[in-house]
Amino acid sequence: MSAGNFLNFCRREPLGALGGLLILLMVLTAVFADVLATHDPICTDAEHTLARPTASHRLGTDNLGRDIYSRIVYGARVSLMVGLGSALLGAALGAVIGLLSGYCGGWVDLFAQRVMEILQGLPLLILALVMAAALKPSVGNVMIAISVPIIPMAERVIRGSVLAIREFAYIEAARALGVGHLSIAFRHILPNTIGPFIVLTTAQFGSAILVEAALSFLGLGIPEPWPSWGRMLSVSAAEFAQKAPWLVIFPGTAISLVVFASNLLGDALRDTLDPRLGRERSL
Amino acid sequence: MCRQIYRLIFSVVFSALLAASASAAPAPKAGGVLNATLIEAPPSFSIHEEATVGAVWPVMPCYNNLVLFDPLKKQESLDSIIPELAEKWTLQDGGKSLVFFLRKDVKWHDGRPFTSQDVKHTFDVVREAPGIATKLRVNPRQLWYENVASIDAPDPTTVAFRLKKAQPSLILMLASGYSPVYPAHVPPAELRTKCMGTGPFKLKEVRPGELIDYVRNPDYFVKGRPYLDGIRYTIIKDRSTRYSAIQAGRQDVPYPLEIAKTIAETVKKSAPHLVLIDSATNVYDSFFVNHSRPMFADAKLRTALNLAVDRSGYIKAARQGAAVAGGVMLPPPYGVWGLSAAEQAKIPGFGDAAKQKAEARKLLAEAGYGPSKPLKLTVSTRAIPSYVEMTSYVVDQLRQVGIDATIEQIETGVWHAKMTRREFDLAVDQTGIGVDDPDARFFEGYKCASPRNYSAYCNKEIDAMIDKQSEIIEQKKRLDLVHEIDKRLQLDGARFMLGHSKEYVLMQPYVRNLVPHQSVYNYGRMQEVWLDK
Amino acid sequence: MFVYLLQRLATAVLTLFGMSVLIFVLLRVVPGDIVDIIFSSAGFVNPAAKAELAREMGLDRPVAIQYVRWLKDVARGDLGKSYRYDVPAWQVVKPRIPVTVELALLAILIAVALGVFTGVVSAARQDSALDYALRFFSLAGLSMPSFWLGMLIILALVSWAGWVPAMTYVSPFQDLRAHFLQFIFPALAVGYRGSALIMRITRSAMLEVMREDYIRTARAKGLRERAVIFGHALANAMLPIITVIGFEFAFMIGGLVVTETVFNLPGVARYLVDAILWRDYPVAQNLVMLIAVAVVTVNLSVDLLYGYLDPRIRYGTR
Repeated sequence: MSAGNFLNFCRREPLGALGGLLILLMVLTAVFADVLATHDPICTDAEHTLARPTASHRLGTDNLGRDIYSRIVYGARVSLMVGLGSALLGAALGAVIGLLSGYCGGWVDLFAQRVMEILQGLPLLILALVMAAALKPSVGNVMIAISVPIIPMAERVIRGSVLAIREFAYIEAARALGVGHLSIAFRHILPNTIGPFIVLTTAQFGSAILVEAALSFLGLGIPEPWPSWGRMLSVSAAEFAQKAPWLVIFPGTAISLVVFASNLLGDALRDTLDPRLGRERSL
Repeated sequence: MCRQIYRLIFSVVFSALLAASASAAPAPKAGGVLNATLIEAPPSFSIHEEATVGAVWPVMPCYNNLVLFDPLKKQESLDSIIPELAEKWTLQDGGKSLVFFLRKDVKWHDGRPFTSQDVKHTFDVVREAPGIATKLRVNPRQLWYENVASIDAPDPTTVAFRLKKAQPSLILMLASGYSPVYPAHVPPAELRTKCMGTGPFKLKEVRPGELIDYVRNPDYFVKGRPYLDGIRYTIIKDRSTRYSAIQAGRQDVPYPLEIAKTIAETVKKSAPHLVLIDSATNVYDSFFVNHSRPMFADAKLRTALNLAVDRSGYIKAARQGAAVAGGVMLPPPYGVWGLSAAEQAKIPGFGDAAKQKAEARKLLAEAGYGPSKPLKLTVSTRAIPSYVEMTSYVVDQLRQVGIDATIEQIETGVWHAKMTRREFDLAVDQTGIGVDDPDARFFEGYKCASPRNYSAYCNKEIDAMIDKQSEIIEQKKRLDLVHEIDKRLQLDGARFMLGHSKEYVLMQPYVRNLVPHQSVYNYGRMQEVWLDK
Repeated sequence: MFVYLLQRLATAVLTLFGMSVLIFVLLRVVPGDIVDIIFSSAGFVNPAAKAELAREMGLDRPVAIQYVRWLKDVARGDLGKSYRYDVPAWQVVKPRIPVTVELALLAILIAVALGVFTGVVSAARQDSALDYALRFFSLAGLSMPSFWLGMLIILALVSWAGWVPAMTYVSPFQDLRAHFLQFIFPALAVGYRGSALIMRITRSAMLEVMREDYIRTARAKGLRERAVIFGHALANAMLPIITVIGFEFAFMIGGLVVTETVFNLPGVARYLVDAILWRDYPVAQNLVMLIAVAVVTVNLSVDLLYGYLDPRIRYGTR
């Protein structure tokens, strides 16, 4: 996207730009967590447990005396990694399957469609739940578990775009010129699906973070001592919620904010990059 | 005028009478249903096949023991044992025979009479007596009865436990909630989904995963008991929801061992009418090295680990004050056998945090570890939030002396399998002991051959001392030896004790006669509980 | 039409079959089985006794054979025995179904009412402050973890009202008011979240419809704005809204898993998590299949309804 395009986007989609800015801030937070954090996120302090937010502990401390602000700052790393990782992984796998299935058609398509229907028939969280239980708890495995339900969504979108593009004249021309199938698929069709791909990844990014939080809440998410936002809500937040509401409020707000931002950006990108989905901005 | 004086005299007398009646203990009222709380459904109804308070607590009202720890006395000991199915008992043959004389008026819930054969059957099954056909699917407490040579039932109302050698503690095991008498006419497998006892309450309905309902046993052999018409155990999975339910008056009593001190206090503050009882329990947190790994043969390394973890900080932070420091045995005033505060001070990990950490660093350096060659350790624990929290604290303490420690979370379901196979470096666990007694504690956790000695600690000398204390009938002499064993185990780093849990029982003010003991496994009979509404 | 229906049914059955294989295999990959868990509560594992127990439960057979046995049992209408409770799985699952169905219906109702209403208002006042506020409100619902919202609701109730909904299931025949209060809060938490998508679709469908000529005609004829919007525009925007409700259903079941836990409702979704953690295969696999059947059925009905409402769709072509 050139600078002009970018400015244009900001003018036409101010809310989308706001979402993008929020996500950018979050990414910067994750990258510069070492600088931004005021405390070691896993360092316990028996003398200052469940402390109210003060100058030294901006967002208070948890029941082990760990600094919540620093945990949220470091938690951004985990949440972004899981959100982005699983959204990209799911979208990429879905894109490859969608590309092949849309381009090849026939038996490949039929088979892929059935498999996708199987994956799609199960509610997202339940599929992720079973996957997470089947794999050992680790950051990578949680990403895989969350990415699986994303595959069919991505596959459907990409396959749809491929089916549309396939009929374009220049593809016909390439085929007539004897260009190989793989070459056509990857060189000519793939670049044209980049738009829907970005839209999809952005939209799924937020949903992946929510799924991670729910998995952590149910005890199947990212293992300690990684400070993930979902786990921060699950471990003792509920227990101490009444005495120390900041344990519940801040991590939950962080999750909601980043998901909100991703929804804003996703909508704006969809309107800009994928006009077929309708010109109406939803926010 | 006279009238006024009469009135005055009348009102003075009347209010004096009122005050007198209020200060005297109110007479128990019969009736009402107790709303009790569970955190999950019991794994089964067969107490003898389970080793969790989750099974004992909601099933105890259905059964009776031979003897029981007095439900109304806070501290359990030899002196607090009261009769249940046995009217009286004696020690014979220099302590090698324990003879019980049974009640004659007892019936099972299905109307069949209770006899000495039921008692013999139950404990023969549990100890896996040679030649017995009935077997338990899982038998966690066979070890308790290792010293029983045979059980005789010479007549329907007499049962004699013949012992290999004197064991004054045996009756304590029999007084635990873990030792109900099963009916001989029902196979144990059937007792997993229902209960068939002689107890004060009969099972009415089970909605799997939702609730368990009991009704009063009208034919109960103790006249006038139980007071309650019934008990409803409701399963509430989410902890904050459980507390909200108590606060809002939906539940009368919490789940035992709901050790969250902070929240109990918060709830008490916003609902001051609730009664908060705190009590220490013999459920303890510990972390331990895998003694079967050669690196941990180095006593210096073990001491360094022991010194690294500040116990007072652990109790303050990881447990929010809801634990008491101690050695193997629960310390006084809660328990009977534990080390005093003065003796605890000599144990590594119980002193000044900064000094001990410096010493730990020094010992680590001597053992060959330092900044250039950090000691890398994995600390395993169960994938349960509270365990993970405990472990997070321990890991951070180890990091503070330069050990590169990481957490490994193991699903509860496979935890014991892994521990039994000794596939770990360091582990953090929480363990409950049915009875506050050295036999129950030492035999299970520290003897070389015990299947539940997960740390694989093995010291023949200690083994001999453990056997010796078990036979000593004179309490004071036995106590001294128990203290000696406890101290040696701590100094040797057999298992590093982090703390003994305290429980914070938050109940409605109208619940009477539910007295938490120092063992959560033994006070759930509910026979004496009544509602002052 | 008939051929199309048959075709759709065949695909649905094929999909369900594939799901059964997937779920069966996945559950077997989960480390540890019920035998481990039974022994775990005893604190140690005795290998001989463990093997015996596994044999008794049929867990020593090859996975393929276990699978075939499961299908056979299901075909006979036998859902197996819950390992955890030692009683027929159906006995455990049956009383939970109405709870989840009621909660899901109530939540859908709230989602539709809230979503359609805000969507219509938002479209009618396009680009006004109200439009922005409503869109903000709706997107906020979509962005919150539903269990967090549930936690906040319970916290608020207990701190400000000193009251929480009943902890055990209250039958509507026993106490209608308590029953309603028990369901309304979790339904609100799930429904609010679900309303976001419906609101979005409603709004864009409405905007599209309102640009159509007949709406302009209706306006020009001097019909009142409210009559135009609700009488003409909404009726024509119904089609995409119905589609999204089907999609919403699957989405919502996931939300129920955590919400039922937070509000302690004895529903199917909460129990599924327990069954998975307990390795209670008969209950877990049958519950997942039950949910899958529900989702597939809803999707199928929505498709058919869509075809019925929109004559432009021709059946018989793929």
